Amino acid sequence: MRRFMRRVATMTHGSMMDSIRKWVPFLVLLVLVLFFSAVNPHFLSLRNFARIAVSSSPALMVAVGATFVILMGSIDLSMEGTVAVCAVVFAMLLNRLGGSLAHVGWVAIPGALLAGGVLGAVNGLIHVRLRIPSFMASLSMGFVGVGLSLLMTGGNRILIDDPLFRSLLTVRVLNFPLMAYAALGGLVVAWFIQDNTTIGRNFYAVGGGEELARASGLNVGRVRVIGFVLAGIFFALGAILAVARLGIAETETGQGFMFLSITSVVVGGTGLAGGSGGVWNTLVGVLIVNVIGNGMVVVGLPDYLQDGVLGLLVISAVYLSMDRRSLSFAR
Amino acid sequence: MSFIRQYIEQQTINRRNLLLLSAYGLGGLAASAGLRPGPARAAGANPKIAWSYRDRTNPYWNSIVSGGEAFVESLGLPKSALLNLINGGSSEKSLADIKALLSRYGSGVALAADPNDMPNCRPVVEAVAGAGAYVSTIWNKTDDLHPWDFGDNYVSHMTWSDVGPSEQTARILIEAMGGKGGLVHLGGIASNNPAIERLAGLKNALKSYPNVELLAEQAADWDTQKANQVMSGFLTRYGDAIKGVHCASDTMAYGVIEALRAEGIENMPVVSYDGNPQAVDLVAQGKLLATVFTNPYWGGGITASLAYYAATGVFKPSKEPKEHREFYGPTVLVTTKDARDFKAKYIDSNPKYDWKDFWGLSKGQIQYRS
Repeated sequence: MRRFMRRVATMTHGSMMDSIRKWVPFLVLLVLVLFFSAVNPHFLSLRNFARIAVSSSPALMVAVGATFVILMGSIDLSMEGTVAVCAVVFAMLLNRLGGSLAHVGWVAIPGALLAGGVLGAVNGLIHVRLRIPSFMASLSMGFVGVGLSLLMTGGNRILIDDPLFRSLLTVRVLNFPLMAYAALGGLVVAWFIQDNTTIGRNFYAVGGGEELARASGLNVGRVRVIGFVLAGIFFALGAILAVARLGIAETETGQGFMFLSITSVVVGGTGLAGGSGGVWNTLVGVLIVNVIGNGMVVVGLPDYLQDGVLGLLVISAVYLSMDRRSLSFAR
Repeated sequence: MSFIRQYIEQQTINRRNLLLLSAYGLGGLAASAGLRPGPARAAGANPKIAWSYRDRTNPYWNSIVSGGEAFVESLGLPKSALLNLINGGSSEKSLADIKALLSRYGSGVALAADPNDMPNCRPVVEAVAGAGAYVSTIWNKTDDLHPWDFGDNYVSHMTWSDVGPSEQTARILIEAMGGKGGLVHLGGIASNNPAIERLAGLKNALKSYPNVELLAEQAADWDTQKANQVMSGFLTRYGDAIKGVHCASDTMAYGVIEALRAEGIENMPVVSYDGNPQAVDLVAQGKLLATVFTNPYWGGGITASLAYYAATGVFKPSKEPKEHREFYGPTVLVTTKDARDFKAKYIDSNPKYDWKDFWGLSKGQIQYRS
């Protein structure tokens, strides 16, 4: 087994392989699009791409948040709880403050982002100060979030009818709804943070080699907490877009985001070990997962096969796109 | 040093006696439990009242539990007197929680439960009967399990027959489509009984409309977001061929309506099921054509009430006829015509129910398809 691994290592050792591997997620996406279009030509239409964009937008924001944490070599599994709390906070604030973004209601947006940031900070502090593995700390915080949102709503759904807010879904520019542009804007901000700020570079430093980063004088604990705060803020953006998509805020708003976002990040080619990948990879990953979800319905795959096929496609996408050379052991 | 040896010997004998005695005691307990005359006695004046269910995030279960709380309050107790056993969709947890409750309070338990899936009902009922406590179940039960086989301890089982009402909503939908064109069905988790029955209702209705085609049926797992995604997939696949949507639950209908709204489609006929407050509002506005109310509030209250009053000896289940042991819960069709009246009566305020009128809203004894 070990000899086999070594042989794989030598085979993939080459800069050409590296540059090809970088594009594998994109190629996977392209192949999927071509495949679904071949089976049902309706798939390849602007209207369908707009539908995929609607389902991808909230997921993209959540996955981008998770990307920062994964780049550091940690993991954040609190998104279902955080998204639920932020969605409920947003909806409650908006409805309390007159129910429209046009007046004081806009405060609901920074309010939700603040809630996300606070939850992220708590998450990060528990992980760093109490030295609890991020996996466990964030998973538990996710449960806390679900409980908290349930407490706030009492199990009820909060409806948002503000036409201005719902224009994120209903108003289209160049065939795509506004929420797609909002998500793209969020992505560009995340890209800027990742590539052009010290903290962004520090995420890579911590993920690439924590000991080295510490030895060169970096306050690793601080970087980690900031990473979780940033993730929380992006989860809140995802929550707002999720509410925009359905007009409903409830505890179940967060449901499904954990699988969706972690899968997207990994399928996009960001290594779970940390230090490699980035937010553009995550965009490709989110699109892959949503194209699969949409495509399976469009080609009419029987529903009892869909979950299984999704799992298999995800495994193949990860197999093709992840650089396992650096992994002596897959954690 | 002999006193030490003597002390040790004495202690050994004491321990042996203790072991023997406790073994005898346990054996005696078991024997007396086994020899106790069949149907257990009433648990006394103050049984603990508990509801075992999935969780409160879903409006349906939220109403069930609210009904349970209303019943508890009718006894002059605070809401907190109702013990919530939340199984989170796990049959194992459901059974483990119930067993823990029974080992704490023994026969002094009046339990209302949805066993989560059909096979789990038998172990739940057997555990309760074994402890001499009382249980009433809803929804999930295998056809070979009957309350009357357990004396008084398995008080009752209530379920809802969805085939008929679902057929009614389908007819309303098809009439709105003008009796022709294609429609799609979004179903619940494929193995759930209500999902199966609601689809069966649709198919029954389709038999009398040869010009209507069921383009596709797909499970969206009772989930709003999944329904949203599935509906947009349908729109890509069938486009304008879709003239109507039949949803197996309100929660999925919300996702469908939003998927349509995203496309600027406002007048597509949609029907759903469950009669949640938000859905009733949508029916009143004409965005949904019909939904079916199963009165979970009453169901949650009456199920706890049946177990409680059987435990306190107010009525003796084994003396009741079979249609009082296994019965269908109420179903009320809500259409655009009566949605406002319905809302005033059932949603804006919960009617004050007489929790001792156990079978007032029942729709007859459960019939099994052989």
